[in-house]
Amino acid sequence: MSVLRPMDKLPDLNKATVLLVSTEDALLQQLADSMLKEDCASELRVHLTKSLPLPSSVARPRIDLIVFVITLHSRYSFQNVEESLHHVDSNFFLGKVCFLVTGAGRDSHCSVHRNTVAKLAHTYRSPLLFCDLEVESFRATVAQRLVRMLQICAGHVPGVSGLNLLSLMRSPSPPPEEL
Amino acid sequence: MELRPERAEEARGGERISLLLRLRAQMKQQLLEYKSMIDANEEKTPEQDMQEKQMETKIESLENEIEDVKTAFDIKNLVLSRMQLSSALKNNLENTATESSELMDDLNDILKLNKLIMTSQQESRELEKKLLDVRKKRLQLKQASGRKLLEIQTEKNKQKEELDSVENSDKIKTMQHNLQMEMQTTTVVQHVFQNLILGSKVNWAEDPALKETVLQLEKIVTMI
Repeated sequence: MSVLRPMDKLPDLNKATVLLVSTEDALLQQLADSMLKEDCASELRVHLTKSLPLPSSVARPRIDLIVFVITLHSRYSFQNVEESLHHVDSNFFLGKVCFLVTGAGRDSHCSVHRNTVAKLAHTYRSPLLFCDLEVESFRATVAQRLVRMLQICAGHVPGVSGLNLLSLMRSPSPPPEEL
Repeated sequence: MELRPERAEEARGGERISLLLRLRAQMKQQLLEYKSMIDANEEKTPEQDMQEKQMETKIESLENEIEDVKTAFDIKNLVLSRMQLSSALKNNLENTATESSELMDDLNDILKLNKLIMTSQQESRELEKKLLDVRKKRLQLKQASGRKLLEIQTEKNKQKEELDSVENSDKIKTMQHNLQMEMQTTTVVQHVFQNLILGSKVNWAEDPALKETVLQLEKIVTMI
Protein backbone atom coordinates (compact mmCIF):
# COMPACT_ATOMS: atom_id res chain seq x y z
CA MET A 1 0.00 0.00 0.00
CA SER A 2 1.42 3.30 -0.95
CA VAL A 3 -0.66 5.49 1.30
CA LEU A 4 -0.72 5.22 5.06
CA ARG A 5 -4.23 5.13 6.41
CA PRO A 6 -4.92 5.62 10.08
CA MET A 7 -7.81 3.29 10.76
CA ASP A 8 -7.50 0.42 8.32
CA LYS A 9 -6.29 -2.04 10.95
CA LEU A 10 -7.66 -3.00 14.33
CA PRO A 11 -5.65 -1.80 17.31
CA ASP A 12 -3.70 -4.21 19.46
CA LEU A 13 -4.59 -4.41 23.11
CA ASN A 14 -2.54 -2.09 25.29
CA LYS A 15 -0.04 -1.42 22.52
CA ALA A 16 0.76 1.90 20.93
CA THR A 17 2.89 2.35 17.82
CA VAL A 18 4.71 5.46 16.73
CA LEU A 19 6.45 5.99 13.40
CA LEU A 20 9.44 8.32 13.34
CA VAL A 21 10.35 9.62 9.90
CA SER A 22 13.60 11.42 9.30
CA THR A 23 16.78 11.31 7.27
CA GLU A 24 18.94 11.62 10.39
CA ASP A 25 19.32 8.07 11.62
CA ALA A 26 21.43 8.77 14.68
CA LEU A 27 19.03 11.34 16.08
CA LEU A 28 16.10 9.04 15.46
CA GLN A 29 17.79 6.18 17.26
CA GLN A 30 18.53 8.36 20.26
CA LEU A 31 14.97 9.69 20.32
CA ALA A 32 13.59 6.17 20.08
CA ASP A 33 15.75 5.06 23.01
CA SER A 34 14.58 8.02 25.12
CA MET A 35 10.96 7.26 24.33
CA LEU A 36 11.31 3.61 25.23
CA LYS A 37 12.92 4.56 28.51
CA GLU A 38 9.83 6.51 29.49
CA ASP A 39 7.54 5.09 32.13
CA CYS A 40 4.32 4.21 30.37
CA ALA A 41 1.42 1.96 31.26
CA SER A 42 0.92 0.76 27.69
CA GLU A 43 3.44 -1.09 25.62
CA LEU A 44 5.30 1.15 23.22
CA ARG A 45 6.49 0.23 19.78
CA VAL A 46 8.73 2.58 17.87
CA HIS A 47 9.22 2.25 14.12
CA LEU A 48 11.98 4.16 12.40
CA THR A 49 12.13 4.94 8.73
CA LYS A 50 13.94 7.29 6.41
CA SER A 51 11.03 8.16 4.17
CA LEU A 52 7.56 7.11 3.08
CA PRO A 53 6.18 5.09 1.35
CA LEU A 54 6.88 2.16 3.60
CA PRO A 55 7.62 -1.18 1.96
CA SER A 56 4.46 -3.22 1.94
CA SER A 57 6.19 -6.53 2.43
CA VAL A 58 6.40 -6.18 6.21
CA ALA A 59 3.36 -6.87 8.38
CA ARG A 60 3.15 -3.98 10.78
CA PRO A 61 0.64 -2.95 13.42
CA ARG A 62 -1.66 0.02 13.22
CA ILE A 63 0.30 3.25 13.39
CA ASP A 64 -1.10 5.66 15.96
CA LEU A 65 1.21 8.64 15.62
CA ILE A 66 3.63 9.81 12.93
CA VAL A 67 6.41 12.17 13.93
CA PHE A 68 8.27 13.89 11.12
CA VAL A 69 11.67 15.01 12.37
CA ILE A 70 13.22 17.88 10.40
CA THR A 71 16.64 19.26 11.08
CA LEU A 72 17.19 22.87 10.19
CA HIS A 73 20.77 22.15 9.18
CA SER A 74 19.91 20.26 6.03
CA ARG A 75 17.50 21.19 3.27
CA TYR A 76 17.40 17.56 2.21
CA SER A 77 15.59 16.47 5.36
CA PHE A 78 12.94 19.11 4.75
CA GLN A 79 12.42 18.06 1.14
CA ASN A 80 12.35 14.42 2.15
CA VAL A 81 9.62 15.09 4.67
CA GLU A 82 7.67 17.14 2.13
CA GLU A 83 7.72 14.27 -0.31
CA SER A 84 6.82 11.71 2.34
CA LEU A 85 3.78 13.76 3.29
CA HIS A 86 2.19 12.86 -0.04
CA HIS A 87 2.00 9.24 1.05
CA VAL A 88 0.00 9.92 4.15
CA ASP A 89 -3.78 9.74 4.04
CA SER A 90 -5.58 12.96 4.89
CA ASN A 91 -7.37 11.35 7.84
CA PHE A 92 -4.04 11.12 9.59
CA PHE A 93 -3.83 14.87 9.89
CA LEU A 94 -6.72 14.91 12.36
CA GLY A 95 -4.32 14.84 15.26
CA LYS A 96 -2.12 11.87 14.48
CA VAL A 97 0.76 13.74 12.85
CA CYS A 98 3.35 15.85 14.59
CA PHE A 99 6.31 17.83 13.27
CA LEU A 100 9.51 17.95 15.33
CA VAL A 101 12.22 20.44 14.47
CA THR A 102 15.75 20.13 15.74
CA GLY A 103 18.90 22.12 15.31
CA ALA A 104 17.46 25.55 15.84
CA GLY A 105 20.05 26.38 18.45
CA ARG A 106 23.02 26.81 16.12
CA ASP A 107 21.84 29.59 13.88
CA SER A 108 24.96 29.62 11.70
CA HIS A 109 24.37 26.07 10.47
CA CYS A 110 20.72 26.59 9.62
CA SER A 111 19.94 26.35 5.95
CA VAL A 112 16.19 25.98 6.38
CA HIS A 113 14.36 28.90 7.90
CA ARG A 114 12.09 28.37 10.89
CA ASN A 115 9.22 30.03 9.11
CA THR A 116 9.34 27.52 6.27
CA VAL A 117 8.72 24.67 8.66
CA ALA A 118 6.15 26.72 10.52
CA LYS A 119 4.30 27.30 7.25
CA LEU A 120 4.44 23.59 6.48
CA ALA A 121 3.01 22.73 9.89
CA HIS A 122 0.31 25.34 9.41
CA THR A 123 -0.63 24.02 5.98
CA TYR A 124 -1.09 20.54 7.37
CA ARG A 125 -2.75 21.86 10.55
CA SER A 126 -0.48 19.78 12.75
CA PRO A 127 1.41 20.74 15.89
CA LEU A 128 5.01 21.82 15.62
CA LEU A 129 7.52 21.05 18.36
CA PHE A 130 10.98 22.50 18.68
CA CYS A 131 13.73 20.54 20.41
CA ASP A 132 17.46 20.17 20.37
CA LEU A 133 17.71 16.41 20.09
CA GLU A 134 21.40 16.32 20.83
CA VAL A 135 21.05 17.48 24.41
CA GLU A 136 20.06 14.64 26.71
CA SER A 137 17.66 16.52 29.02
CA PHE A 138 15.75 18.23 26.18
CA ARG A 139 15.48 14.93 24.39
CA ALA A 140 14.06 13.29 27.49
CA THR A 141 11.47 16.07 27.84
CA VAL A 142 10.32 15.84 24.26
CA ALA A 143 10.27 12.06 24.51
CA GLN A 144 7.96 12.35 27.49
CA ARG A 145 5.68 14.69 25.54
CA LEU A 146 5.66 12.40 22.53
CA VAL A 147 4.84 9.37 24.67
CA ARG A 148 1.89 11.22 26.18
CA MET A 149 0.69 12.27 22.73
CA LEU A 150 1.09 8.71 21.51
CA GLN A 151 -1.03 7.37 24.35
CA ILE A 152 -3.77 9.85 23.54
CA CYS A 153 -3.66 9.14 19.81
CA ALA A 154 -3.80 5.39 20.41
CA GLY A 155 -6.95 5.84 22.44
CA HIS A 156 -5.42 4.78 25.74
CA VAL A 157 -6.50 7.90 27.59
CA PRO A 158 -10.24 7.88 28.21
CA GLY A 159 -12.06 11.04 27.28
CA VAL A 160 -9.33 12.57 25.13
CA SER A 161 -8.82 11.78 21.48
CA GLY A 162 -6.16 12.90 19.03
CA LEU A 163 -8.52 15.45 17.57
CA ASN A 164 -9.20 16.96 20.99
CA LEU A 165 -5.51 17.28 21.60
CA LEU A 166 -5.01 18.87 18.20
CA SER A 167 -7.62 21.51 18.89
CA LEU A 168 -6.00 22.30 22.22
CA MET A 169 -2.53 22.56 20.73
CA ARG A 170 -3.58 24.61 17.76
CA SER A 171 -1.87 27.95 17.21
CA PRO A 172 -4.42 30.63 16.39
CA SER A 173 -2.61 32.60 13.70
CA PRO A 174 -0.58 31.57 10.65
CA PRO A 175 3.16 32.24 10.76
CA PRO A 176 4.23 35.67 9.54
CA GLU A 177 5.22 36.07 5.90
CA GLU A 178 8.86 37.05 5.59
CA LEU A 179 10.78 37.96 2.46
CA MET B 1 6.59 -17.42 54.94
CA GLU B 2 3.15 -18.78 54.08
CA LEU B 3 1.61 -15.33 54.01
CA ARG B 4 3.96 -13.93 51.42
CA PRO B 5 2.90 -15.98 48.39
CA GLU B 6 -0.71 -15.15 49.24
CA ARG B 7 0.12 -11.47 49.26
CA ALA B 8 2.00 -11.86 46.00
CA GLU B 9 -1.04 -13.60 44.51
CA GLU B 10 -3.30 -10.84 45.76
CA ALA B 11 -0.99 -8.23 44.29
CA ARG B 12 -0.96 -10.03 40.96
CA GLY B 13 -4.75 -10.37 41.04
CA GLY B 14 -5.01 -6.67 41.77
CA GLU B 15 -2.69 -5.94 38.88
CA ARG B 16 -4.73 -8.10 36.57
CA ILE B 17 -7.90 -6.30 37.57
CA SER B 18 -6.32 -2.91 36.98
CA LEU B 19 -5.01 -4.12 33.61
CA LEU B 20 -8.47 -5.32 32.65
CA LEU B 21 -10.00 -2.03 33.67
CA ARG B 22 -7.42 -0.13 31.71
CA LEU B 23 -8.01 -2.32 28.67
CA ARG B 24 -11.73 -1.73 29.02
CA ALA B 25 -11.22 2.03 29.05
CA GLN B 26 -8.90 1.80 26.05
CA MET B 27 -11.34 -0.26 24.05
CA LYS B 28 -14.15 2.15 24.85
CA GLN B 29 -12.10 5.08 23.66
CA GLN B 30 -10.95 3.30 20.51
CA LEU B 31 -14.51 2.21 19.73
CA LEU B 32 -15.60 5.81 20.09
CA GLU B 33 -12.91 6.93 17.67
CA TYR B 34 -13.86 4.33 15.06
CA LYS B 35 -17.54 5.19 15.39
CA SER B 36 -16.84 8.86 14.89
CA MET B 37 -14.77 8.09 11.80
CA ILE B 38 -17.62 6.06 10.36
CA ASP B 39 -20.08 8.85 11.05
CA ALA B 40 -17.76 11.38 9.49
CA ASN B 41 -17.33 9.33 6.35
CA GLU B 42 -21.03 8.87 5.67
CA GLU B 43 -21.54 10.86 2.52
CA LYS B 44 -24.93 11.80 1.21
CA THR B 45 -24.83 11.25 -2.51
CA PRO B 46 -26.05 14.41 -4.19
CA GLU B 47 -28.86 14.15 -6.70
CA GLN B 48 -27.63 14.22 -10.23
CA ASP B 49 -29.91 16.93 -11.54
CA MET B 50 -29.36 19.56 -8.91
CA GLN B 51 -29.26 22.98 -10.43
CA GLU B 52 -26.36 25.34 -9.99
CA LYS B 53 -28.33 27.72 -7.83
CA GLN B 54 -29.38 24.98 -5.47
CA MET B 55 -25.80 23.83 -5.18
CA GLU B 56 -24.65 27.35 -4.47
CA THR B 57 -27.22 27.80 -1.74
CA LYS B 58 -26.29 24.45 -0.27
CA ILE B 59 -22.61 25.42 -0.30
CA GLU B 60 -23.45 28.68 1.41
CA SER B 61 -25.46 26.97 4.10
CA LEU B 62 -22.65 24.49 4.71
CA GLU B 63 -20.13 27.32 4.93
CA ASN B 64 -22.38 29.09 7.42
CA GLU B 65 -22.52 25.91 9.47
CA ILE B 66 -18.73 25.74 9.48
CA GLU B 67 -18.48 29.36 10.56
CA ASP B 68 -20.99 28.79 13.37
CA VAL B 69 -19.10 25.77 14.60
CA LYS B 70 -15.83 27.70 14.45
CA THR B 71 -17.15 30.61 16.48
CA ALA B 72 -18.76 28.29 19.01
CA PHE B 73 -15.47 26.46 19.33
CA ASP B 74 -13.51 29.68 19.80
CA ILE B 75 -15.93 30.84 22.46
CA LYS B 76 -15.59 27.53 24.25
CA ASN B 77 -11.80 27.84 24.12
CA LEU B 78 -12.04 31.30 25.64
CA VAL B 79 -14.30 30.01 28.39
CA LEU B 80 -11.90 27.16 29.08
CA SER B 81 -8.89 29.44 29.35
CA ARG B 82 -10.85 31.79 31.57
CA MET B 83 -11.73 28.89 33.85
CA GLN B 84 -8.10 27.82 33.95
CA LEU B 85 -7.02 31.33 34.78
CA SER B 86 -9.54 31.70 37.58
CA SER B 87 -8.62 28.35 39.11
CA ALA B 88 -4.94 29.28 38.97
CA LEU B 89 -5.75 32.61 40.62
CA LYS B 90 -7.77 30.84 43.29
CA ASN B 91 -4.92 28.47 44.03
CA ASN B 92 -2.50 31.36 44.18
CA LEU B 93 -4.71 33.29 46.57
CA GLU B 94 -5.19 30.28 48.78
CA ASN B 95 -1.47 29.84 49.08
CA THR B 96 -0.49 33.44 49.69
CA ALA B 97 -3.39 34.84 51.64
CA THR B 98 -2.13 37.99 53.35
CA GLU B 99 0.60 39.22 51.06
CA SER B 100 -1.41 39.56 47.88
CA SER B 101 -3.10 42.85 48.65
CA GLU B 102 -2.54 44.08 45.12
CA LEU B 103 -4.33 41.05 43.77
CA MET B 104 -7.21 41.63 46.15
CA ASP B 105 -7.43 45.28 45.09
CA ASP B 106 -7.48 44.25 41.45
CA LEU B 107 -10.14 41.65 42.11
CA ASN B 108 -12.28 44.15 43.99
CA ASP B 109 -11.92 46.65 41.15
CA ILE B 110 -12.91 43.94 38.72
CA LEU B 111 -15.99 43.10 40.79
CA LYS B 112 -17.05 46.76 41.00
CA LEU B 113 -16.61 47.27 37.29
CA ASN B 114 -18.55 44.10 36.54
CA LYS B 115 -21.44 45.28 38.73
CA LEU B 116 -21.37 48.65 37.00
CA ILE B 117 -21.37 46.94 33.62
CA MET B 118 -24.32 44.80 34.60
CA THR B 119 -26.40 47.71 35.88
CA SER B 120 -25.66 49.86 32.86
CA GLN B 121 -26.48 46.97 30.53
CA GLN B 122 -29.76 46.49 32.36
CA GLU B 123 -30.57 50.19 32.02
CA SER B 124 -29.72 50.21 28.34
CA ARG B 125 -31.91 47.14 27.82
CA GLU B 126 -34.86 48.85 29.52
CA LEU B 127 -34.38 51.98 27.43
CA GLU B 128 -34.27 49.90 24.31
CA LYS B 129 -37.48 48.21 25.35
CA LYS B 130 -39.18 51.56 25.84
CA LEU B 131 -37.93 52.75 22.47
CA LEU B 132 -39.28 49.59 20.89
CA ASP B 133 -42.68 50.10 22.53
CA VAL B 134 -42.88 53.69 21.33
CA ARG B 135 -41.95 52.62 17.82
CA LYS B 136 -44.59 49.91 17.87
CA LYS B 137 -47.24 52.41 18.95
CA ARG B 138 -46.21 54.78 16.20
CA LEU B 139 -46.46 52.01 13.66
CA GLN B 140 -49.89 51.06 14.92
CA LEU B 141 -51.09 54.67 14.73
CA LYS B 142 -49.74 55.00 11.21
CA GLN B 143 -51.52 51.87 10.15
CA ALA B 144 -54.78 53.04 11.75
CA SER B 145 -54.57 56.45 10.04
CA GLY B 146 -53.83 54.74 6.76
CA ARG B 147 -56.91 52.60 7.12
CA LYS B 148 -59.07 55.60 7.97
CA LEU B 149 -57.87 57.53 4.93
CA LEU B 150 -58.62 54.53 2.79
CA GLU B 151 -62.14 54.37 4.21
CA ILE B 152 -62.66 58.09 3.53
CA GLN B 153 -61.48 57.63 -0.02
CA THR B 154 -63.79 54.70 -0.66
CA GLU B 155 -66.72 56.61 0.76
CA LYS B 156 -65.98 59.58 -1.49
CA ASN B 157 -65.70 57.33 -4.51
CA LYS B 158 -69.01 55.70 -3.62
CA GLN B 159 -70.72 59.06 -3.35
CA LYS B 160 -69.28 60.16 -6.67
CA GLU B 161 -70.48 56.99 -8.32
CA GLU B 162 -73.93 57.39 -6.88
CA LEU B 163 -74.06 60.94 -8.08
CA ASP B 164 -72.97 59.97 -11.55
CA SER B 165 -75.46 57.14 -11.70
CA VAL B 166 -78.19 59.36 -10.49
CA GLU B 167 -77.30 61.97 -13.05
CA ASN B 168 -77.16 59.53 -15.89
CA SER B 169 -80.34 57.65 -15.04
CA ASP B 170 -83.21 57.63 -17.50
CA LYS B 171 -85.77 59.31 -15.27
CA ILE B 172 -83.70 62.43 -15.11
CA LYS B 173 -83.28 62.35 -18.86
CA THR B 174 -86.98 62.17 -19.49
CA MET B 175 -87.55 64.87 -16.89
CA GLN B 176 -85.00 67.09 -18.58
CA HIS B 177 -86.67 66.45 -21.94
CA ASN B 178 -90.05 67.35 -20.52
CA LEU B 179 -88.60 70.48 -18.97
CA GLN B 180 -87.21 71.50 -22.34
CA MET B 181 -90.56 70.95 -24.01
CA GLU B 182 -92.37 73.00 -21.36
CA MET B 183 -89.86 75.80 -21.68
CA GLN B 184 -90.32 75.88 -25.42
CA THR B 185 -94.11 75.96 -25.16
CA THR B 186 -93.95 78.79 -22.59
CA THR B 187 -91.68 80.83 -24.85
CA VAL B 188 -94.03 80.20 -27.75
CA VAL B 189 -97.02 81.25 -25.62
CA GLN B 190 -95.13 84.36 -24.46
CA HIS B 191 -94.35 85.33 -28.03
CA VAL B 192 -97.98 84.78 -29.00
CA PHE B 193 -99.27 87.03 -26.21
CA GLN B 194 -96.67 89.68 -26.98
CA ASN B 195 -97.64 89.76 -30.61
CA LEU B 196 -101.31 89.80 -29.69
CA ILE B 197 -100.86 92.87 -27.50
CA LEU B 198 -98.56 94.65 -29.98
CA GLY B 199 -100.75 93.67 -32.92
CA SER B 200 -103.86 95.11 -31.26
CA LYS B 201 -102.14 98.52 -31.34
CA VAL B 202 -103.14 99.30 -27.76
CA ASN B 203 -101.05 101.78 -25.86
CA TRP B 204 -99.79 99.47 -23.22
CA ALA B 205 -97.54 102.06 -21.54
CA GLU B 206 -100.51 103.88 -20.01
CA ASP B 207 -102.18 100.99 -18.23
CA PRO B 208 -99.94 99.82 -15.36
CA ALA B 209 -101.38 96.29 -15.26
CA LEU B 210 -100.87 95.86 -19.02
CA LYS B 211 -97.37 97.38 -18.69
CA GLU B 212 -96.50 94.79 -16.03
CA THR B 213 -97.73 91.92 -18.19
CA VAL B 214 -95.73 93.08 -21.23
CA LEU B 215 -92.56 93.48 -19.17
CA GLN B 216 -93.11 90.08 -17.63
CA LEU B 217 -93.47 88.57 -21.09
CA GLU B 218 -90.06 89.97 -21.95
CA LYS B 219 -88.41 87.76 -19.42
CA ILE B 220 -86.74 85.02 -21.30
CA VAL B 221 -87.24 81.71 -19.75
CA THR B 222 -83.85 80.06 -19.30
CA MET B 223 -82.63 76.87 -17.85
CA ILE B 224 -82.45 76.77 -14.10
